[in-house]
Parts: sequence; structure tokens; C-alpha cells
Amino acid sequence: MIELEIHILSDRREGLLVGLGRVVIASGFTLLRQRVYQDNQGAWLVMIVRGEPEQQLGLEEMLATHARVQSFEATLLAPGAAAQAAATPAPRASDGATHGSASSSITHIGPDVGKVESMLPQLARDYPKIFPWLLALEHDVAAEAREASLLLAGRRTGTWVYKRDYEMGGKLGLADAIKRIATPAMRSLISVDVHDRHFHIQNCPLCPPGGHSGCRFFSGYLEGMLSASSAPQSVLVRHLHCRGQHGAGDCVLEVSH
Amino acid sequence: MPAHQHYNLWLVLLSYVISVLGSFTALQLAVAIPLAQTARQRMMAVLAAGAAMGVGAIWAMHFIAMLACNMGLPVSYDPVLTALSAIIAFGACSLGLFIASSGAFSWAKLAAAGVCMGLGVTGMHYLGMAAVMMAAYTTYDMSLVAASLLIAIVASIVALWLAFNLRGRVQMVGSALVMGLAVCGMHYTGMAAFNIDEEGGQVPAGFANGMRGGNLGTSIFIVTVMLLVAALVIHYKRQQRRAAISI
Repeated sequence: MIELEIHILSDRREGLLVGLGRVVIASGFTLLRQRVYQDNQGAWLVMIVRGEPEQQLGLEEMLATHARVQSFEATLLAPGAAAQAAATPAPRASDGATHGSASSSITHIGPDVGKVESMLPQLARDYPKIFPWLLALEHDVAAEAREASLLLAGRRTGTWVYKRDYEMGGKLGLADAIKRIATPAMRSLISVDVHDRHFHIQNCPLCPPGGHSGCRFFSGYLEGMLSASSAPQSVLVRHLHCRGQHGAGDCVLEVSH
Repeated sequence: MPAHQHYNLWLVLLSYVISVLGSFTALQLAVAIPLAQTARQRMMAVLAAGAAMGVGAIWAMHFIAMLACNMGLPVSYDPVLTALSAIIAFGACSLGLFIASSGAFSWAKLAAAGVCMGLGVTGMHYLGMAAVMMAAYTTYDMSLVAASLLIAIVASIVALWLAFNLRGRVQMVGSALVMGLAVCGMHYTGMAAFNIDEEGGQVPAGFANGMRGGNLGTSIFIVTVMLLVAALVIHYKRQQRRAAISI
């Protein structure tokens, strides 16, 4: 078990705890303590949560793409430090006044929701010829918001394609959903080899060799599509390899529950 | 084929076309059952799909096939048993589609749904045959009767698997073609099991008041038109829904 202290910045406090508390629980974490306060930047939600280490990435990805999250910071607490941390939650971990002994700290900037939202109708209109729009999005958003923005655009597109083209029929297990829904849907966009739960994307146009990684879009696309189509609904897509970051080879994504 | 049966091949082909059309309409209604928001919506979708399958694909197909079959004797049909055969097909198919469309896929559920549908097809056929009135004794070859039941169940399972587990054209068209095979395969195997002995046969009471080919033709025409209209409405509604989904 690990304990995390998460500081989340949002535009307003109404419904913030309920909305993000559900995200925490859906990610397999237990909410130990929380506090909401307002400052001149916006509304802050501070949560101390406990869960399995392997669920951390999933929780961070869900927070990074949540519509109410402008930015967030997750700090890994030393064992037993949760009680002490919750007593003085106002200062942020990055301010140096952290609680317990933080062994790692990850700062995420959320997606540029406005730019993604304004681009989605273009994606729907031109689908599946959407790469010019995605390349434009990559360049339009700030570098630190690029991956989260592509992930959000991918999730929205994946869910939309599922509802439009694949919703009629029974709920499928993950393996069948990959074979009968995700694979043909991915192939309508790009050349891809599928081995069990691994998608090997060939020549991903969003990931120029040596450049930045854009295949987060496909992670979101698969998550949106498979979460809507398969049972159980929590689906996580991990990046195993990206030719943008590693310079060669296919981009490889792994799907898991 | 027993020597006393002679078929009009155009009507045989038409019987398959009707069973495929009815199956297509029913299965397209059925795959939307999991999307129902309320219990009432779900029940209405199940009943609509069951009606298209039971009355359209099975009952109408059966009586077109009966019109295609010349047994060398005047034939009429008991109206009560004929109506009851349609009700059995409707009820069994509704139950089968309800089972197949509930929750996540499992082989046990698929088998249960296929057995319901297969029994619906078979029950309708043999009750429909019990409604036949003619001046002859009738007997069945029980091994062929068993084979007809097996065909109906196995082909129904395959059709339901195609309908609920695949997506795209194979789901839409393949499942209807296979379900049509289930219905027709069962029917014509069942007819091969049917033997008549004209020796000493007497015209049964009520023969004169039974339904004749003309009555059946009108009923079948109405059912067919309803199936075509339903298929067109489904297609139109699906196109509307697809266009209305926002990203």
C-alpha cells in the first residue's frame, strides 16, 4: 500500500470533492482525508489517499484528464505520514513545507480543455482523416499540456466512435472487445499490428522520430472505446515504447484492466 | 423428401427470403435491447424483437413453405392451433432474445437463449402441423424430428452469437442469413419427417371451417409488409441516431 497527498487546482469548489472523490474510488484508492479551500488562483482540493502502487499511474491519468482539474500535484508520502500530513494541508508540497518525507513528487498540468473542446467538432466532421487536426492541436497547446490534451481528445474520440459504430450488440469481455471493436477501429485510423493486448502502431504520424510523443492520443482513444464497450469498465492503456522518444521502431501500447 | 410432397421452388425460395427478412428485423431490434434506459423500454424492445422473429421469421415462413408444398390432398388449417403456434413462437423467441441480450456475454446464457429460440421454432412448426386438417393419417419419423430440433437449436445459437458478439456487416447480415437457415432447415427437415397415409383417412370435423391458402396468403402478406416497414424504420432511426451522437 502507498499513501499519496494530492493537491488539485480547479476553477470552482462546488462539486469538486464529490467529482474527484469518485475518481479516487474508481481508481481503487481509499480517500483518507480531504480539505477544500480557496485562494486567488482558484479552488484547491487536498486529498490524502491510500491504495496499491500499481494503481497510481491510472489515478494520475484520470486526474490529468478530468474536466474539473486545471493542474495537480501528487506526492508519495512516507508510511504513516498521512495523519501528520492531513493536519496541515494548506501549503502545497512543492512549496517545500511538505508533510511526512516525500520520496517523489510529480506535477501534472491538465489538458487544455478549451482547445480540445473547440477541435472536437472538426475531428467528428473529418473522421477518420483527423491527423492534420491532431498535429495542429499538438502545436497549439503548451508543451506541458500536450500529452494530457491528446489523451483527452483521444478519449472523447474513442467513446464517440464506439457509440456511433459499435454500440449495438452485447457487452464483451476485454479480449473480445479488443479483437472485434478496438482493432478494426484503430485500423480505420492507422496501420497497426495487434498481438494479444499489445498494439504496435507503425509510423505514427504524431510521433516523429526524435520529436515529442503524440501517441497519447491512441492511449486515450483505446481507453475511451474499451471502457465503453467492455465489462468491467475500468481499462488502462500503458505506453511501452514510443518512436518519438526512442527514435525508432513502433509505438507500443498495452491494454489492461 | 417423401413421395407425397411436391414443392414449388419459387415459394420455397420466398420462404427463405421471408425468414431472413424477419430474422434481420428481429436481430436488429434485439441488439439494441442492451441500450434500453428503463425496464419498460427494455420490455418493449424484447417484445418487438420477439414478434418480428416469432411471427415474421418463423410463422410466416412456415405457412409460405406450407403453401409451397403440394401434398396431393385438399388441406385446411385449424384456426385456433394456427394462432396458438404463432403465440408459442412469439413467446419462446421473446424469452430467448431477453436472455441473450441481458448483461455480459457468457456461453451458458447463449446456450439457454439458443435452446429457447430452437424450441420456439420447433414448437411453432409441429403445432402448425397439428393444425393441418386433411383426409389422411399422419405419422412422423422421430429420428428426423430430433434432427430438426437439433438444427433449430444449433443454428439459433450460432445466429445469436453472430448478432451479439460481432460488429458490422457480418453481425447484421450474417446473423440473419444463419437464423434463416435455422428456421428453414428445421422446417424442411421436419417436413421430411412427415408422412401421410391416405388409406382409410377421413375428412376431419371442422375441415370446412378451417383456414385455406387464401386466408393464409392474406395474413402472410400483412406480416411481410409489416416486417419491411419495420426494417426501413429501424434503418432510418439508426441513421438519425448516428448523426445525433455528439463527440
